[in-house]
Amino acid sequence: MRLFTFQRASSIDDAVASGSGAAFLAGGTNLVDLMKIEVLNPERVVDVARLDLGKIEVRDRALEIGALASNAAVAEHRDVSRAAPGLSEALLSGASPQLRNAATVGGNLLQRTRCAYYRDLGTRCNKREPGSGCDAMDGWTRMHAVLGVSDKCIAAHPSDMCVALYALDAVVRVRGPGGEREIPIGDLHLLPGDHPDQEFSLRVGELITGVRIPMDALAARSRYVKVRDRQAYAFALASCAAAVQVQGGVVRAARFALGGVGTKPWRVPEAERSTEGRPATRQTFADAAEMALRGAKPRRDNAFKVELAKRTAVRALMLSAEIAS
Amino acid sequence: MDLPKRPCLLAFCRERPQFDEAFRTELRGLGAPLFAFAPGHGTLFGADDEPRDVGPRPEMWRIHGAGRAALTVVLLDERHRVRLRRDAPEAEATLLAAIREARLAVRAAPRGMGRRELLVNSLAVALGAAVLQACASSRPAPDMKAGPAIADLVDVKLVVNGDQRSLRVEPRVVLLDALRENLGLTGAKKGCDMGQCGACTVIIDGQRVNSCLKLVAQLEGAHVTTIEGLARGRELHPMQQAFLQQDALQCGYCTPGQILSAVALLREGKPQDDDEIRERMCGNLCRCGAYPNIVAAIRDVAGRA
Repeated sequence: MRLFTFQRASSIDDAVASGSGAAFLAGGTNLVDLMKIEVLNPERVVDVARLDLGKIEVRDRALEIGALASNAAVAEHRDVSRAAPGLSEALLSGASPQLRNAATVGGNLLQRTRCAYYRDLGTRCNKREPGSGCDAMDGWTRMHAVLGVSDKCIAAHPSDMCVALYALDAVVRVRGPGGEREIPIGDLHLLPGDHPDQEFSLRVGELITGVRIPMDALAARSRYVKVRDRQAYAFALASCAAAVQVQGGVVRAARFALGGVGTKPWRVPEAERSTEGRPATRQTFADAAEMALRGAKPRRDNAFKVELAKRTAVRALMLSAEIAS
Repeated sequence: MDLPKRPCLLAFCRERPQFDEAFRTELRGLGAPLFAFAPGHGTLFGADDEPRDVGPRPEMWRIHGAGRAALTVVLLDERHRVRLRRDAPEAEATLLAAIREARLAVRAAPRGMGRRELLVNSLAVALGAAVLQACASSRPAPDMKAGPAIADLVDVKLVVNGDQRSLRVEPRVVLLDALRENLGLTGAKKGCDMGQCGACTVIIDGQRVNSCLKLVAQLEGAHVTTIEGLARGRELHPMQQAFLQQDALQCGYCTPGQILSAVALLREGKPQDDDEIRERMCGNLCRCGAYPNIVAAIRDVAGRA
């Protein structure tokens, strides 16, 4: 790990004033790891772990979750598992108990890809070193994305929590030098395009302070299904957070987001709308999944993900709709 | 002064120590030469040789910042980097006690290889002499010329196994390294050093975490429990006892992390079945594959709760 200067933020304003070149550090499970392997090398680290941003509460028909709430605390919270069970399931399917105790919601929102080439300084990576090239393209691509890819980057987004938050229509609260603002979760993560090094829509100095999740009928029905190479403690090959509302055997509304297959959590509103007014059957959901995977661009080792993601989505949708699969 | 090109121990005491037969026995067990310094005196002890006078060597006191504690013991590796350091407060300041402690630390290394070589060599290469010495001493280390610029050091007070400890470290030092190299608590093991294997698991403020990913600088006032803090005197923690009874280890490297993780697991809630134990222990890998017996040990203790 390279040397850096360390500062404990005394308040949110203090943290926000730290300016460019500073990295906010909370749980450390992602940032410290990447600093150890020298993929991220901040000159200044601002410790925000002790700021008062850890609350989880219900306010105005919404779950308000502080950025410093640990993944474990959120997953185990009674209001969360009642109002948004898919979020609990997503969090509990990720990492290990040790990591979930340390990792925070804010950090998870900014979790970096697990692309093996991004993490290996001996290879070319446009995300790590803009313009250097991408050794993943013709490399081992089993864990890479098939949606949202560009010719510069195919790194998959690794977070389970974010997938659930996409399906839950969450809003990210941030505080910056210019004050507070809210970012719809779908706008927080950027597609790689020509600039895979630019990963988030956050501005310099902006600190995530929390997440708001509307407590609607869909959220209460949300579920998360994750498929991986081993039963525990592995990143998703494909995952899906789904929420379906059914009335009299007919789909009234549905939302679903895919994980493990996109360069960011993947939602296709058109696919969701296609289910509305149709019978809540496997066929309806299979058609929606088909639509969601349209435009997938697999590479050598991950073509299986296209079919896997569809089936994962169908399973999650049927689980939420409580249809035996 | 010429130190040998192999691991050796330095001891700095306030009074010239008495080297009786009990001491010589301890020294043989350690298997490393010992340079013992007291004001005005310096003696070299090989394991079998007669003691040899090496003179008072004030520069050694200076280099190692000795003299503030009643007794300082430093373990150097073959390149004379500090690998272990103990500063003993007044009460326990016998050289014999310190040597015994150092010997235990050496013994804690796995069998099969030369233990002291393993001890000194297996510690993080990434943290070079510069960091180690900056950690060990409040003043700049003497041989930092090849190292990076010195970062501002961070003072952290934390409670480790019930004892108030003070650390002055570079901000990049993680808890795992501070435990092992500054505090001499080598129970937490360095496996992957990237938060994947769980060998470094400790309990911080009641929560099990990977100590390899926790910067010490963030831990002001934290309460840390390591495997060394589980037993009460000579009485093992029930989980330690269960691991022994169920033979829940082979090489033992992952065991401290497994046990701490298991202790925390039961505090978090009683598992319903073996599958739940397995899922909730997923952050602790065992390359020997002792999993069935680990699950059995946890099931035993959970059943008694």
